[in-house]
Amino acid sequence: MEPVIDLNCSLPSEGTFLTPFALIWQDILAQAMTGELVAALNYTALSTICDDPAEAADALEHAAGEQGHAAAFAAEGRKIGVDVPNNVNAKHWKRLREAFMRRIAERDFIGCLIVQEIMLESFAVASYARAGKVAPGSMGRTFASIAAEEEEHIEHAMAILRTERALDAQRFDDKVHGLHLEVMTTLAEMLARECTHGHCEVCHDSCVKPSLSEVSLTAAELRGASLRQYLKTLDMLGLPGEVTLAWVSQLPV
Amino acid sequence: MGESVAGVAANVAQQAPAIDVDFALIGHQECWRAAADVLAVLRGPEHPPLPDDEIRDIFPWIPPRAICHVEAGSIAGGKARGVYIDSFIPPDRLDANYMRDNLARVRGAAAYAIKAGAKIVSLGGFSSILIEGNLDQLPERHGTVFTTGNTLTVGFIVQGIKKMCALEGRNLRRSTLLIVGATGDVGSGCARCLAPVVKRVLLNARNMERLRTLAAELEADGVQVEIATGLQQFSAEADVAICAASLASPSLLLGRIAPGAIVCDAGYPKNLSPSGQMAGAKIFFGGLGQITGGLRFKPDFQGILNRHPFPDVVHGCLLEGMALALERRFEPFSQGRGFITPERVEEIETIAARHGIFLAPLYNADGPVEDGVECLAGWSAG
Ligand SMILES: NC(=O)c1ccc[n+]([C@@H]2O[C@H](COP(=O)([O-])OP(=O)(O)OC[C@H]3O[C@@H](n4cnc5c(N)ncnc54)[C@H](OP(=O)(O)O)[C@@H]3O)[C@@H](O)[C@H]2O)c1
Repeated sequence: MEPVIDLNCSLPSEGTFLTPFALIWQDILAQAMTGELVAALNYTALSTICDDPAEAADALEHAAGEQGHAAAFAAEGRKIGVDVPNNVNAKHWKRLREAFMRRIAERDFIGCLIVQEIMLESFAVASYARAGKVAPGSMGRTFASIAAEEEEHIEHAMAILRTERALDAQRFDDKVHGLHLEVMTTLAEMLARECTHGHCEVCHDSCVKPSLSEVSLTAAELRGASLRQYLKTLDMLGLPGEVTLAWVSQLPV
Repeated sequence: MGESVAGVAANVAQQAPAIDVDFALIGHQECWRAAADVLAVLRGPEHPPLPDDEIRDIFPWIPPRAICHVEAGSIAGGKARGVYIDSFIPPDRLDANYMRDNLARVRGAAAYAIKAGAKIVSLGGFSSILIEGNLDQLPERHGTVFTTGNTLTVGFIVQGIKKMCALEGRNLRRSTLLIVGATGDVGSGCARCLAPVVKRVLLNARNMERLRTLAAELEADGVQVEIATGLQQFSAEADVAICAASLASPSLLLGRIAPGAIVCDAGYPKNLSPSGQMAGAKIFFGGLGQITGGLRFKPDFQGILNRHPFPDVVHGCLLEGMALALERRFEPFSQGRGFITPERVEEIETIAARHGIFLAPLYNADGPVEDGVECLAGWSAG
């Protein structure tokens, strides 16, 4: 598959030997990098609907930050001798991006924040944190520090969203539920233990999930950690825990 | 979801409760079947049940949270409203290896109860065992009190033993009583209540020092006591036994016990191993009460959170919080380990009875133990 955004991924330099797990990390990095690039595109789009110039500048700053994360993942790939591809048009990512762009078309700033900061970032924070614990050397540190950065910038969005919920909790929660059905269903399919709906269009060859255990990860743990992070984020927004648990338990597996 | 988000959201508020939450019940599931049933209710009838392997993968990741609202009615009139909070401890992870994680879960559940504004919190099953001695590490409590619920549990165990003896025509005064887990909060409470009315007591637990302390306390009141860390070491066979050890799974083999002995399994999870052979033993599950003023769950977890063959049966530990909430006595009635006395048991039994909370009909894995008592249609053990 052709990377849609070229981040100067060089081929392994001569004399570099692939570690036995490099190809597994290549796929993990490719998913992470694609996610970061989708986030960068989303924040850039968000900047176009911000009424407040300061918010617009903030969104562009975030977009640049996500680009930087993508570049960092690409660099980590090079260090282990692999080229990290990306594909923001891969089927799941494309659907996630389309969901976000529908909110942009509606100039729905709050909807955009919910999709990007609550849903997509929960997934990123949790899965990077897991990867950070097991990835070798500097790659582990990169995953961990990006997870921490992502978590930090969620705070700003949380403050805006809490204020919004305080205005009308019922309307807010119904909106989150609508977006949950649209976005989290896709994320749940991505996170399923096995990809039963065909190739994800990001992994370089066959699906990486069955091989994750070779690098001390499992698809089940990445899903579990992501959904837990999502539930906790919704808790922090004030949504009732029993309601959000019912939503999550109804997601496809 | 059958009802609008807002409908449910109005009930448990995270920041400012929209309704008064009188009590919170903190629990965990005893077996994977129960865990699967909880998730099935949450998924709703329109979604197929999750496969077992997916349940085992997903369940451990669920953070502690309320899963339903509970309304308890009193026969004296009045209602108390509460929430059931599951700590989502995976049923096969109750052993010491998971202590830190489980403690964090119970703390999380307790914090959730505080946030929900509960005035009294009952610590069901292993929750009290885990959090005992760590209550000071909870977030600021703003008037929320905690009770282990063990005093009413002891009351129902003791009542159950007496009832079973009456049903079987046994004379408790001539009995040798064995208590497994005797130095625990429940076990020692049972010992204090029953020692004065039996011929002799056999106390078992793993820690000899604590056994000696309890034995000395009972002997000072003239009770005949024998202690042992191994069940085979007692000089006599018991004809009445209470199993109240904090076992992570049903693994207890009672071994030497009189034929036809009365055995109360009060563990949660159950103590007795299903493979244990006890010729003619009269086994019943102890520590259970029935709330006759009405019990409602929303969403409907009836028969899922209380998996018993009779309606409105609940573990004594959870009922204690409900009884105190109905009484509007928001105090930490049972706290600490080893403080349960016959007087305190009588006091909580009186409160419970005033609101229609009585000993539940006795049953075991095969169904009711009393003749002529019907069990709920479709009930099966496990
Ligand atoms: N039916 C109900 O409503 C209800 C209510 C509350 C509690 N419970 C259940 O009752 C049981 C006891 O609760 P608790 O609060 O009394 O717990 P606890 O205070 O921690 O006491 C546990 C007791 O079990 C003993 N023990 C642990 N492992 C043992 C083993 N392998 N063999 C023999 N003794 C053992 C402990 O002593 P050593 O450590 O010295 O062995 C101690 O005496 C638990 O299963 C709990 O879930 C049921």
